[in-house]
Amino acid sequence: MDNLTKSDLKLLINKAYNGRVKMLKMMRNGSIHLGGAFSSIDIITVMFNKVLIHDPTNPSWDRRDRFILSAGHKGIALYVTLQDQGYFDENILWTYYRLKSKVPEHPDEKSLPGIEFPTGSLGHGLSAGSGMALAAKLDKKEYRVFVLLGDGECSEGTIWEAAMASAHYKLDNLIAILDRNGLQVNGRTEDIMNTSVLENKFREFGWTTCAINGHDYNEIWSRLNNVPIEVGKPSCIIADTIKSKGITFAENDFQTHHCHWDEKKINKAISSVIENQVMELKKIE
Amino acid sequence: MNRPIIKEIIESPKEVFRSVIVELGKKNKNVIFVSCDTSLGTGADEFKKTYPDRHIEFGIQEQNAITASAGLALSGKIPYIGAHVPFIICRCVEQIRNDLCVTKANVNIIGRDFGLQFSALGPTHMITEDIGILRTLPNITIIAPADGPEYRAAILTACEIDGPVYIRLSRQPTKRVNNGNYEFKVGKGNILRNGKDITLIATSSMVSRSVEAANLLQHEGISVEVINMHTLKPLDKEIILESSTKTGKVVTVEEHSVINGLGSAVADVLIQDNPIKMKMIGIEDCFVIVGQSYEELLDYYGLTGPKIAQSIKSFLDQFRV
Repeated sequence: MDNLTKSDLKLLINKAYNGRVKMLKMMRNGSIHLGGAFSSIDIITVMFNKVLIHDPTNPSWDRRDRFILSAGHKGIALYVTLQDQGYFDENILWTYYRLKSKVPEHPDEKSLPGIEFPTGSLGHGLSAGSGMALAAKLDKKEYRVFVLLGDGECSEGTIWEAAMASAHYKLDNLIAILDRNGLQVNGRTEDIMNTSVLENKFREFGWTTCAINGHDYNEIWSRLNNVPIEVGKPSCIIADTIKSKGITFAENDFQTHHCHWDEKKINKAISSVIENQVMELKKIE
Repeated sequence: MNRPIIKEIIESPKEVFRSVIVELGKKNKNVIFVSCDTSLGTGADEFKKTYPDRHIEFGIQEQNAITASAGLALSGKIPYIGAHVPFIICRCVEQIRNDLCVTKANVNIIGRDFGLQFSALGPTHMITEDIGILRTLPNITIIAPADGPEYRAAILTACEIDGPVYIRLSRQPTKRVNNGNYEFKVGKGNILRNGKDITLIATSSMVSRSVEAANLLQHEGISVEVINMHTLKPLDKEIILESSTKTGKVVTVEEHSVINGLGSAVADVLIQDNPIKMKMIGIEDCFVIVGQSYEELLDYYGLTGPKIAQSIKSFLDQFRV
């Protein structure tokens, strides 16, 4: 398996952890969907920096890869990444929860460049992505469509309609990345509605699947840069992640799904993120 | 001036769709047909034969078909989805709202078999709420054509309209109500006959029956102005206000629930700008009964020409001193 260079790893760690700090600062304005945003930010960071073919100066470029955040409640992680990529100015982030803000908790494709589809109601993104992938096939275009799903989201029936149709149309330009953090609003996904075993389910629907560690930049990068896993089939990359990853005291706590902390707790969380960032950087030395 | 009533021409909207979709496909290579196991019934079989690559089959997955069509539309395609009203509208409200209306995707829904048209299929298939459900959604255009030329024009025009379009496709044959020179304009109602005593505003299947009612009433000395309101959204407020100011009384007729359909839309306008007495003829708040034939059900619900005429007469009786 290919590895990222040390400087690439350093860059990605810094971007993903700085993004976490920005999200916590945005929490000063109002609630954020912390748990899922923090479980997926490493994947989103690797994607926008090292995987997607895109141009922040030309967001409607016809040949761009499409990225759809199907689990739209993780929108804040997309915002900090798009802003870091130069899609829009940082000031926009600080309008969070303000009148006429362009960064609602759930992304709206009309409000900012870089957002391909409005999401927030779960179970829509894979269908939308499959339509875009199908259009690419019809027009013989090369772009790929990446859709980030959540494991709780896979309770929605439309995910499986889309899974079935995408395999039927052999959409190997469609790649689902499944942020499997194992938790949802009211507790453990396996207790609320067991979506396991997702690998088997997607495989049975005609996809190729593989599992990765969703916080290991090398694994994310090498897997996502080798798609489709199998020609003629859509790919599902199941990323095992930790809810609220990066804030030690909040990790794996389902109650961090959607939260609004006071200043003291936010500052404590920021310190924890920075400590973890330093630790991650040390690991690569 | 009363326009001459044209010689009776009966047309099948499905046949109109069959030819128009092929014509559109020829004109614009981005036009695709999206099927939910519905191409045969909608009349897209010819399109499928002519443009097999542009016929996209989703099988029995209406919700996925709507959202995937949004993805296709945002990637430059112009999908026409032909499917049954109960499933493609009622089942898919959130997909229509979030994925078509929010994004203003150019997706055109051809909804088959509304109202009483499935005469014996029961409440799961007999939908009288489609316009009511869709009318509150921003960015959608709702068209309920009355006859063949209007179907043709609406299907062709939908391609050019920014945002999603819903066209109510009748499975029952339609009687020609418009003359040859008629020019269809989205959002502009048209006066089929002038009158001075009362304004009768009708849509889709009820337009020809309203003309029939107006003819019957003419024999009794009642002069009825008949407006064909083929576009439910955006609604032509001017024509409502102009005609109602002239006649002072309004009746609406629709093969739809009286809740949030044409009648409610007209009432919204009148109550604010010309509060006069009006009557809504349609289906009262209920799940409809079944019957042997469509005509039998129309009669039961008071939606035939003679029954409409009778209701108008009763309404006018209120104004007698």
